[in-house]
Amino acid sequence: MSLLDGARGSLTELSRPERWVLGVSAAFALFLLAALLTGALGPTYFLFLVGLAGMYALLSFGLNAQWGFTGLINFSVAAFFGIGAYGSALMTADSSPIAGGFNPLVGLVVALVVAFVLALLIGIPTLRLRADYLAIASLGLAEVVRLIVLNERWLTNGSAGLRGIPSFFQGWPVLSTFPEAMPGLRLVVIPGSPILLETSFWQSLLNVMLVLTFAGVTYLVLRRAHRSPWGRVLRTIRSDEDLARALGKNTYSFKMQSFILGSLIMALAGVFYTHLNLYVGPGDLDPITTFYAWVAVILGGSGSNRGALFGGIVIVTIREGTRFLNDVALPIDPAPLRLLLIGVVIVAVMRYRPQGILPPQRELIWPSAVDGGGTPETPDSGVREQKGGGSNE
Amino acid sequence: MSEGALPKQDAVLRVDDLQKSFGGLAATDHASFAVERGTITGLIGPNGAGKSTLFNLISGFYEPDGGTVEVNETDVTGMEPYQVADHGLIRTFQTPRKLEGMTVREAMLVGPRNQPGESFVKLFAAPGTVAERESTNLAEAERILEEFEIDHLATQPATDISGGQMKLVELARAMLAEPEVLLLDEPVAGVNPTLAKKLKDQIRRLNEQGTTFLLIEHDMEFVMDLADPIVVLDQGSVLTEGSPEEVRSDDRVIDAYLGGGT
Ligand SMILES: Nc1ncnc2c1ncn2[C@@H]1O[C@H](COP(=O)(O)OP(=O)(O)OP(=O)(O)O)[C@@H](O)[C@H]1O
Ligand SMILES: [Mg+2]
Repeated sequence: MSLLDGARGSLTELSRPERWVLGVSAAFALFLLAALLTGALGPTYFLFLVGLAGMYALLSFGLNAQWGFTGLINFSVAAFFGIGAYGSALMTADSSPIAGGFNPLVGLVVALVVAFVLALLIGIPTLRLRADYLAIASLGLAEVVRLIVLNERWLTNGSAGLRGIPSFFQGWPVLSTFPEAMPGLRLVVIPGSPILLETSFWQSLLNVMLVLTFAGVTYLVLRRAHRSPWGRVLRTIRSDEDLARALGKNTYSFKMQSFILGSLIMALAGVFYTHLNLYVGPGDLDPITTFYAWVAVILGGSGSNRGALFGGIVIVTIREGTRFLNDVALPIDPAPLRLLLIGVVIVAVMRYRPQGILPPQRELIWPSAVDGGGTPETPDSGVREQKGGGSNE
Repeated sequence: MSEGALPKQDAVLRVDDLQKSFGGLAATDHASFAVERGTITGLIGPNGAGKSTLFNLISGFYEPDGGTVEVNETDVTGMEPYQVADHGLIRTFQTPRKLEGMTVREAMLVGPRNQPGESFVKLFAAPGTVAERESTNLAEAERILEEFEIDHLATQPATDISGGQMKLVELARAMLAEPEVLLLDEPVAGVNPTLAKKLKDQIRRLNEQGTTFLLIEHDMEFVMDLADPIVVLDQGSVLTEGSPEEVRSDDRVIDAYLGGGT
C-alpha cells in the first residue's frame, strides 16, 4: 500500500502495523502467485476474485466516507449497492421490463442519479437531527428497497432477477471485441500443469481493469478530500458537531455531501457488480452486504481509506477462502463458519486494536502541514478511545 | 428588566427581551442588554443564572421563545449557528471540546471561516487557490500559537493536552475565525493562575486589536480586573449592569451573588 502513497514512504518510515500489513499482503500475494503458477488457482477465477475485492473495496470506501469521515451511521449499504446494480441492469439488460438495451455508460449515469436522489431524500429529514435518526431511517430504507425489488415485478422482474446483462465494454470500439480477438494462450511454468488464458480470461481482465479504475480513482479522490480542509470539517463534525457549528460550518450541508458521496461510491460498486456477474437478483440486496462493509471499515480502521481497502480485501479473502473448505470434510457447514470467522476477527480487533488495523492518522497529514513537525511520534495515540458506535450525545 | 440596558450607540451585540423556558423553568427571563463595540463585557451571575443558556440563544444553538438578538445591526434571531458566525459572532463552550485524531495544529485550522478548501468542488477545480489559502491559514495559525506561547503543542494530538492548554487552544482557534465579537464561557475555569494570567493578557491584547469580548466568568478577581462593563444575571434576567466598582457595591448583586461584605 506504500506504493499508493507515493515513493516517499521508505520501509523504515512505516509504522509497525503498516509493516505488518505490508508483510501479510506480500505473503498473501506470493501465496496467490504460487497457487496460480501451480495451477491450483485458475487465472480466470483469480481475476474474478480481484474484481470482487475491488468491489468490496468500493463499498468500504463508500461507507468510510460516511461513517469514517463524518460519523454518519448508514445501515443501507446494501440498498445503495442494489440501486447501483439494478439501476444499471434495468437500463442495459435484454430482460429488463422497463428500458433495456442501453449502453452501460447510460446505466452507470442512471444508477448514480438514482442513488443521488435517494441519498438526498433520506438525508433531508434525518441529517438535521442527531446521528441515530439516520441509522434508523437507513435500516428502514434498506428493507424498503429490497422489498420493492422483490415485489414490484413490472419494474424489476421480481424474484426472477435480471439476465442478459452486457459486459461493461460491450459496444465500445476495440474493447468490446478484445476478449475474442485475443489468442488463447497456454503458459507452462511448471511442467504438467499448464495455465490456459482463454477468452473468458481476457473478459475477466477487462472487468478487473474496470473495477481497478473505479477503485483507484475513488481512492485518490477520497484521499485528497479527507486530508483537505473539507475533510477536516467532516472530522470535526465526527468528533464534535457543535464545535463545528460554533465555528461557522454549515454542518448539515457537510453531512449531506459526505452522505451523498459515500452513497454514490456504493452505487458504483453495484454498477460494477452488475457487469461482472451479468445477473442481478433480489438476493444481492440482502443485509449481509451491509454487514460486510461495516466489518471491513471497522477492521481497517474507521476513517482510513487504506484501512477500508485492506478491510475489503480481508472480507473477500474470508468469504471466498472458506469456499475451499467445501472440499474438506468439516463437522459444520462453511456458511456459518464464515460468519463465525468474521465474528472472531471482529472480537479480536476490538479487543487488541479497537482503532482498527490502519487508523487514519498517518494518512491525514495535509501536505502543507507536514513541514516542521509532521506526524506525532506515536501515531496511534490520537485515538485513545475511538467511538465504538452510536452518537455520544 | 433592568435600567439603562438598550440605548447603546455602537452595539455589536444587542439582546432584547429574550426568553427561554425549559419545561416551565424560565432559564432566560426577559433578558435585555447590549455589548458595545470595542469593550470587554463581563457576564456574571450565580450557578444556574442562565448565562450559558444566554450564550446558546445568542449563538443560535437554542431557539428563543421570544425576544430578539441582533449582531452588527442584523436580526439573527432564529438563525443557524453557522449563519450567526457569518455575521461575526463566535462562541466557545463551557466544557472544553476535544477533537479526536487531529494534531493541535490541525484543530486550529478548523477555525478560519469560508476556506475555499472546504468546498468539495474547489478542491479539485481550483487546487491552487486551496493550497494558497491553506498555507496562509497555516502561517496565521503558527503565528497565533506562538503568540499564545503554545507553539510547542502544535504536533501534539489535540486530545492529549491539559484542560488549561485546551482553553488556550480554543481561544487561539476562535481568533482564527476573525470574530468581531467573541463569546467566552468561563475561559479560566480550571486554569492555573499563571496560565490564567496569560489568557487575560491575550484577551486584553486581542481587544486592543479590535475584537469585542463578552465573557462569562466566576473568578471575580479575573473578571473585575479585565471586564468593563459587567452585566449581572440572576434567575434569567439582568439584575444590573455597570462598571466593576458599581457592580461590586450594588446591594442586590451582593445579595444575589457576591454574598457577605465587599
Ligand atoms: N438544555 C437544557 N434543558 C433543560 N434545562 C436546561 C438546559 N440548559 C439549561 N437548563 C437550565 O437552565 C438554567 C440555567 O442554566 P445555565 O447553564 O444557563 O446556567 P449558568 O448560568 O451557565 O450556570 P453555571 O454558572 O453553573 O454554568 C439551569 O436551571 C439549567 O438547569
Ligand atoms: Mg454555564
